[in-house]
Amino acid sequence: MSAQAPPLQVPQPKRRFGRSGEGTFRERLNGIAFALPALVVLGLFVIYPAYYTVRLAFYKSDYLFSFTDYIGLQNFKDLFQDKDFFDASHFPPDGAFFNNLRWVVVYISLTLILGLTIAVLTVRVRYESIVKSLIFVPMAISATAVGVIWLLVYSPNPDIGTVNAVINAFGGNPVSWLGKPSTVNYAIIIAYVWASTGFAMVVLSAALKGIPTEIIEAARVDGAGEWNIFRRIMLPMLSLPISVVTVWLFINVIKVFDIIYVMTGTTGGPGTSSRVIAFSMYIETFSGHPGRGAAAAVVMLLLMIPVMILNIRRFKSERVIT
Amino acid sequence: MKRRSWLVLLAVVVGAIAATFAATASSKPAARSAGSIEVLSLWGGSEKAAFLKVTDAFTQKTGTKVEYTTARDFVPVIRTRLAAGNPPEVAIIPRPGVLSDLAKQGAVKDLGSLGISSSYMKARYGPAWIKLGTVNGKLYGVAAKANSKSVVWYRPDQFKKYKLTPAKTWAQLIAITKKLKAKGQTPWASGAKDSWTLTDWFENVYARTAGPAKYTALFSGKLKFTDPSVKKAIQQMLQILNNKYLFGGVQGALGTAFVDGIGLVFKPNAKAQLYMEGGFVGGIALDQVNTNLKAGKTINSFPFPTINPKYDSPMVGGGDLAAAFKDNADVRAFLKYISSAEAGRIWVSTGAIVSPNKQVKKSAYPNLLVQHEAAQVAGAKVFLFDGSDLLPGSLADDWGAVLQNALQKPGSISSLLSDFQKKAAKEF
Repeated sequence: MSAQAPPLQVPQPKRRFGRSGEGTFRERLNGIAFALPALVVLGLFVIYPAYYTVRLAFYKSDYLFSFTDYIGLQNFKDLFQDKDFFDASHFPPDGAFFNNLRWVVVYISLTLILGLTIAVLTVRVRYESIVKSLIFVPMAISATAVGVIWLLVYSPNPDIGTVNAVINAFGGNPVSWLGKPSTVNYAIIIAYVWASTGFAMVVLSAALKGIPTEIIEAARVDGAGEWNIFRRIMLPMLSLPISVVTVWLFINVIKVFDIIYVMTGTTGGPGTSSRVIAFSMYIETFSGHPGRGAAAAVVMLLLMIPVMILNIRRFKSERVIT
Repeated sequence: MKRRSWLVLLAVVVGAIAATFAATASSKPAARSAGSIEVLSLWGGSEKAAFLKVTDAFTQKTGTKVEYTTARDFVPVIRTRLAAGNPPEVAIIPRPGVLSDLAKQGAVKDLGSLGISSSYMKARYGPAWIKLGTVNGKLYGVAAKANSKSVVWYRPDQFKKYKLTPAKTWAQLIAITKKLKAKGQTPWASGAKDSWTLTDWFENVYARTAGPAKYTALFSGKLKFTDPSVKKAIQQMLQILNNKYLFGGVQGALGTAFVDGIGLVFKPNAKAQLYMEGGFVGGIALDQVNTNLKAGKTINSFPFPTINPKYDSPMVGGGDLAAAFKDNADVRAFLKYISSAEAGRIWVSTGAIVSPNKQVKKSAYPNLLVQHEAAQVAGAKVFLFDGSDLLPGSLADDWGAVLQNALQKPGSISSLLSDFQKKAAKEF
């Protein structure tokens, strides 16, 4: 045996991946080219309107939404002095702002709890896909249609309203769910939860199936009860998907408008009791105060920013369990 | 990368951008060809069908197509389309307050510049209707339809059963209410979820308790809403709109929309006996709610009763004004048509409207419900336009909200009114 041929030198391409990653010029160009259409669309339809709205909030403006009459923070002052928007003069505080906070707490917790419960329970059942499809169907309906459906369900006329028909059948008096300020918000929240549980359920169900079965088997072998398994294994491993769903729900609820508009008419609930921030934005913008409407939009944006920051931080630090 | 892959990539990128723009472009309304105009108003259902008969006749006569767009929340739709530079050619607006705002902003064309002279208008409309469409001395709106809002609807067969006769005074109305309640019937239904129905109640009561002069002053910003006459009128309303006499009580009424309220009285399983709202209820009830109704037998109306005999029975009414955003031959032809006797005749023969046009003959009205209303409109000694439709900006909706709150908390009427007055002061 004589000298062997020297090992083949495979030419290594000049590439360094990683944070400061720069591929070759061509690869970078590829990346930009793929992202370009989305960036253009984002710029035109998201970034520019956002800038326009934030700027508009500092002007009085007119019916053409132009930048006339700079008035600084006056729009925000007017908004927070309007009792329909922000009324902290008594406890519990009133107004569209606080109503939105009520939505945040009740809607998000209900949707998460229901979605999670259904996801966990249906995993063990043979007819899982049927149940899941049924629960997901409301997601396909527009919020307006959901509003119309639940309008009929809540009708104070027992011949039409499902809820009141049931109450009547048990001998009670019909309740006007949408006509009472104390119940109208919860009634609308329930309708919206019905429409969104499907989303939470689907995401959490997928995440649930990503949990390695060995861990659960091991826990069962060790004698852990179902509730303990749920609390100590599933929940922690689901914390990232849960936070994703929470953020999506939070953004949804800060923006909610259409279902309230459909179910309560143009004033926002008996009197103004079911108004939310987006509703105030609608009313102000189209009654000749676009500047104030823009200010309401800015309030919504400010409310969402902390949540987005938290979420992005989470994504960076957490690792998805595979 | 190979050359072919580059080309593929380029094609994908260009295609994606093109598709994006195509998608957004196709959502713009199709450019209207010459010989077609778009008319926007808030009617749907049977009211829309009636209007389409008029536009069909117009198209047959002139060849110009008419695209009708329904927009129940017409104020936001008009405003956004104006800002986008894409308004409809004509809009028929039920609120003179909104028309006035638009005229002051220069968004609508004045009729003189469209070839509609004041003598043309005077030949067809009484001074009250001309004044309504006038802003700063110039005429902007053609009154297309009129309705009385001082109407109480009832079931004649039920009245016969309980031996009741239509009320002429408030005291008689209360007596009817009490008698029906004593016989185990729910006297009243109300579509209070649509707050404008409550504003109509208020206007009728206020005109009859405080008088037309104060009414006009109130809704033009010259009289404060904290004036004691306002509170008094609301309390008078509450003599009927309360938990005892309303179907479902106050909360039930607040959960019932306007058309559903009509259904509560006129559908086969009637749950209530009386309903107060405008003359247009007749058309909606007959064509939409219950087609088995027989005018005169199972549905009829009487005028809103007097309260203070000094003020008799002023008619609170509404009207829709047609205004033009663009000037072209088709728009001019349409406005001329809408103000013609022929269009009026076609429209009233559907039973949906009463025409403010002097040239429309009484014989054109098809059923006795609209005949009543037309007689009321024509014979009104005092005609007051629906006050909340005269209010500027968001006050109309806010006023409705105040009334909804007043119904629920009769003890807080004074504070509700003073809060509202603060808002009103800024708008006027």
